[in-house]
Amino acid sequence: MIWVTWRQQRTETLIAALLLGLVVALLVPTGLHIASVYDSEGIAACVAKPSLDCGGQLDQFVSRWDSLVNAVGWLNLVPALIGSLVAMPLVLEFERGTFRLAWTQSVTRDRWLAIRIALIVGTCVAAAALLTGLMTWWRGPLDDVNGRFDGFDFEGLVPFAYTLFAAALVVALGVVLRRSAAAVGLAFVTFIALRVGIATWARPHYLAPLHETSTTGPAGLALRDAWVFTERGDLRTAAGTPVDPLAVRGCLTDPGAKRLDNACLDRHGIVETLTATYQPGSRFWLFQAIEAGMFAALTLALLAFAVWWIRKRIS
Amino acid sequence: MSAHPVVETRGLGKRYGSRWALRDCSLEIPAGSVTALIGPNGAGKTTLLHMLIGLSRPSAGEVRILGRSPREQPALVLPRVGFVAQEHPLYRSFTLAELLEAGRRLNPRWDAELATSRVTRLGIPLSQKVGRLSGGQQAQVALTLALGKRPDLLVLDEPVASLDPLARREFLQGLMEAVAGEGLTVVLSSHIVAELERVCDHLVILASGGVQLAGPIDEILGAHRLLTGTRRDPGAVARIDSVIRASHTERQTMLLVRAERPIADPSWQVDEVGLEELVLAYLEQQAGHAAPEVGRLELAS
Repeated sequence: MIWVTWRQQRTETLIAALLLGLVVALLVPTGLHIASVYDSEGIAACVAKPSLDCGGQLDQFVSRWDSLVNAVGWLNLVPALIGSLVAMPLVLEFERGTFRLAWTQSVTRDRWLAIRIALIVGTCVAAAALLTGLMTWWRGPLDDVNGRFDGFDFEGLVPFAYTLFAAALVVALGVVLRRSAAAVGLAFVTFIALRVGIATWARPHYLAPLHETSTTGPAGLALRDAWVFTERGDLRTAAGTPVDPLAVRGCLTDPGAKRLDNACLDRHGIVETLTATYQPGSRFWLFQAIEAGMFAALTLALLAFAVWWIRKRIS
Repeated sequence: MSAHPVVETRGLGKRYGSRWALRDCSLEIPAGSVTALIGPNGAGKTTLLHMLIGLSRPSAGEVRILGRSPREQPALVLPRVGFVAQEHPLYRSFTLAELLEAGRRLNPRWDAELATSRVTRLGIPLSQKVGRLSGGQQAQVALTLALGKRPDLLVLDEPVASLDPLARREFLQGLMEAVAGEGLTVVLSSHIVAELERVCDHLVILASGGVQLAGPIDEILGAHRLLTGTRRDPGAVARIDSVIRASHTERQTMLLVRAERPIADPSWQVDEVGLEELVLAYLEQQAGHAAPEVGRLELAS
């Protein structure tokens, strides 16, 4: 039975492997390059010793890869592609009517269904593990500098849940529509809508964001590894009265930069405050668990529905 | 084999929504018989066959295959039943060798030698992709897969409907050879009667979702006669309930009757009935309408 299932999804698995191969070909050279710059230009040292005041250098390092990170953002579609490919052979059984062949061999249909779904889940998990491991390594230097929230979609638990969800969606739509092309098309639209919708509207609110003001300068808030929604710097007197920034022009470290010399501000009795609304970096795993849990629950619901449909409606 | 009929249904029915595809179907199919299940499209043949092998769940009544329920005890029934579905679906991307390997891995009673020698005899290359075989070859491969299970019961749903006449003949030939050896019981459905008589010894006529006639073909043929005589009043003969079909020309009346005893009335010329004509008569009677044949016949049923 396992041999037969493997033989049936061989082509799709090879295509998925090819796709992952392309991802590897994109990520490995660029990842090695990022890592070498990270080490050779002293960024690693900066990160290791927060006391070194090299915030500007860190920002520069991160923004240097902006366009590459944007391009890699397209890999958000990989879980949907992998999930669709892996689910396709099962849908084709119903599109082509070969389930009648499968169900009249000596294997009972419950066992058949269990093995098919187990192989789909197993392949999805393996592919997601490869993708997640690779992306976590690739984003390593960036995450060291800016925390893991920037790579939320690619790291931790959620890629597994996304991949399984995509596969379950294709299976559920496929058994109902019995048309693989329609099922995959509809699944893609649904997948993208749900992913974007949840990332945009639900994820920022899994826990109420912190809203805090630091009166000990920009370093008073741990925003480096946080997911920052709003951030505003002000100048105040010790009593709290706002100060016109023009009054402290003389304290600019150099005319081009926007940074102020702290010793100079102290002399004027002025403090630099920072007010931010943000999710602290320490919440990364909690948020991962919440979002992965949501997609895992959807996956289970879709699979349960597909199994029910196959057992009750297609028979 | 046990004393059970190979196939036994009691009050079997299947409903899709509010429409009954098959109703109150009670049948017994004895071991070793080859039964033709005949009926027009939409008569419920596929529905019945799917319920026999457990692909479909009955809405009413029950099925016993070799004394067991195919839905409740699939692990016991499935290995002993071979099935060729309509359009004989196969894994088209498999080579023939891979498909037979799948048969071996999915069936504990698989007879690899029978399967391989059968396709070799048919001249179908094992390395060929199944999707590239001709329709006739695919039907033969589907039959081989079913026979390779060494089933006690073989069920075929419209096996020859999609085949050209030559492939149809070859397929039925192959089926007859397979049946000849073992004590295999076969049920096959068809809406085409021609050529089935050579293969089948039992007949079930299914129409309008119910069984119209069932039994051994020779008994059925023996119990029907074709009467030809001078023209009688159509109204009078239509009231005789053993008349299956009456047709009238200007001078003659022809009746197809169910006759338990020899016909004594010398005013009738008595002839035997062919299977195809008999089946058509039953189907017309059931349909409740029949187009008069141009110019000559006027049907009075």
